[in-house]
Amino acid sequence: MFKFLLRLKEKLISIEKLLAASCLLALLALSLSQVIMRNLFEIGFSDIDTITRHLVLFVTFMGAALASEGNQHIKIDCVTAVINDTKKQKLKMPLLLISSIVCGIFFWYALLFWLDEKSYAQDNEQLALYLALILPFGFFILSLHFLLLGITQSSSEQTP
Amino acid sequence: MIGVLFLLIALALLGLPLFITLAAGGLYASIMSGLDPSGLIIELYRLANQPNLITIPLFTFAGMTMAAGGSPRRLIKLFNAMLGWMPGGLAMAAIVSCAFFTAFTGASGVTIIALGGLLYPLFIQSNYSEKFSLGLLTSSGSLGLLFPPSLAILLYGIVSGTNIDELFLAGIVPGLILLILLALYSYKSALAWHTPSHPFSFKTLLSAARKSIWDILLPVLVMIGIFGGYVTVSEAAAVTATYALFIESIIYKEIKLKTDLPKVLVDTAKLVGSILIILGVAMGLTNILIDSQLPSRLLGFTENYIHSQLQFLLALNVFLLLIGAMMDIFSAIVVVVPLIMPLANRYQVDPVHLGIIFLANLEIGYMTPPVGINLFIASQRFGKSILTLFQSAMPFLLIMLLWLLMISYIPSLTLWWK
Repeated sequence: MFKFLLRLKEKLISIEKLLAASCLLALLALSLSQVIMRNLFEIGFSDIDTITRHLVLFVTFMGAALASEGNQHIKIDCVTAVINDTKKQKLKMPLLLISSIVCGIFFWYALLFWLDEKSYAQDNEQLALYLALILPFGFFILSLHFLLLGITQSSSEQTP
Repeated sequence: MIGVLFLLIALALLGLPLFITLAAGGLYASIMSGLDPSGLIIELYRLANQPNLITIPLFTFAGMTMAAGGSPRRLIKLFNAMLGWMPGGLAMAAIVSCAFFTAFTGASGVTIIALGGLLYPLFIQSNYSEKFSLGLLTSSGSLGLLFPPSLAILLYGIVSGTNIDELFLAGIVPGLILLILLALYSYKSALAWHTPSHPFSFKTLLSAARKSIWDILLPVLVMIGIFGGYVTVSEAAAVTATYALFIESIIYKEIKLKTDLPKVLVDTAKLVGSILIILGVAMGLTNILIDSQLPSRLLGFTENYIHSQLQFLLALNVFLLLIGAMMDIFSAIVVVVPLIMPLANRYQVDPVHLGIIFLANLEIGYMTPPVGINLFIASQRFGKSILTLFQSAMPFLLIMLLWLLMISYIPSLTLWWK
């Protein structure tokens, strides 16, 4: 079971890396193409603007999920400077599980928000609507990542 | 209510990621106010309507590409050839290189990691005291925070709705004054230690300039592009990112597109993700706080005790220095700016001036305990205790406090262009 979860986490990280890198590269390519088209040909496509703005959200969510893996999230954890490593280690799992629950709740509300948007979306808003799926998807990935981190860390501590 | 607030603060102090703390706070506040928590998602989704938001990942990518592509090494060589002949010249070269680099990497710790490792042995070899070297390099991680295209300025502009071009323009003189003050201190210190300085060689300078010409052109192009009105800030970000990738992969051949680029992209995404996710979840919480009239209650409270702009600026400095010592700069911008904007407006502080004061305070906060992130990064990088680094950085901290007073109480240093 532990090996399966570890493998699942590795797969998740690969997907996050692939999405983060390709979305950032696409963001760069599309933004540059807009600059060239606006300045050289005096044309611009509003759909590209919609896509680039949503790509920032894709990069944000995937980047945030990857930052969880490397414990690179911004924190104000000044208390941890004065507690020993064993206690720090013990704190990790509950904090990761709390993070997973909070992201899970946000996933639920993001899904409700998206379904609500879907019912009111006009024909010309379909692109933005489907790109907005990143909100529930992003929180789902974050929740899953924190959960897998919490479980695999606690299991690895128990494994002699 | 108070109990939940204390619990969240306790969890944050124990290591709960800040974005989770803010998200949980937002959820709790919206439930207690009888609001649908989907409102938090609506606020988060507003990020996708911010036209300047794309500048953050693109400028960060440019900085990360340059960091990975050997730009720090080339810059140190160039500035050392330019300034190294003076007493304290190496320190001055370090100050300029770090400021240049931080402007692109957003004081995210990349400067200390990328340049600190190169500069520290050079300082020790050149007879600089260990204390001075550590102090300078610890402070250097946030030196270019006021220069375009600083990530902190971009974020402040987005959160406060202040014109980013004006903020860029306003940061230049205060940023230069800080560099000059630190260079003078380095000159004075180096005279006492008789640090060796190499003779000026035009040939060496020319060779170093030739090698780093493409790096040096980058900020020049950004400034001409934005201030000359040729491109918008978001267009400048796209061009800068492409330029950085082009020079590092095609001209200098330091970044291989197949092997190195994916890592740079992922590292950029991690940094951007850890900052923007805070912005996203905090927008909902801040909105609830604004709806609950917190800023106007804060204003009412402040008006009882503070009667002039001067008093307000003094109180603001003390408050922001405390915030800077407790929170990192990006979270502080997201959480605190919406709350103090109405206060600054009441005391007729120009929003651009407020932005520069705000960022200057937090720049100092980077090196003050308990959460000064420069102290932690430098501690890891140089293997020294936080206390040693704080003591080493103390003279630099005092210079920066003097500088803060100057820019707070002489608005023309910031608003000279108006």
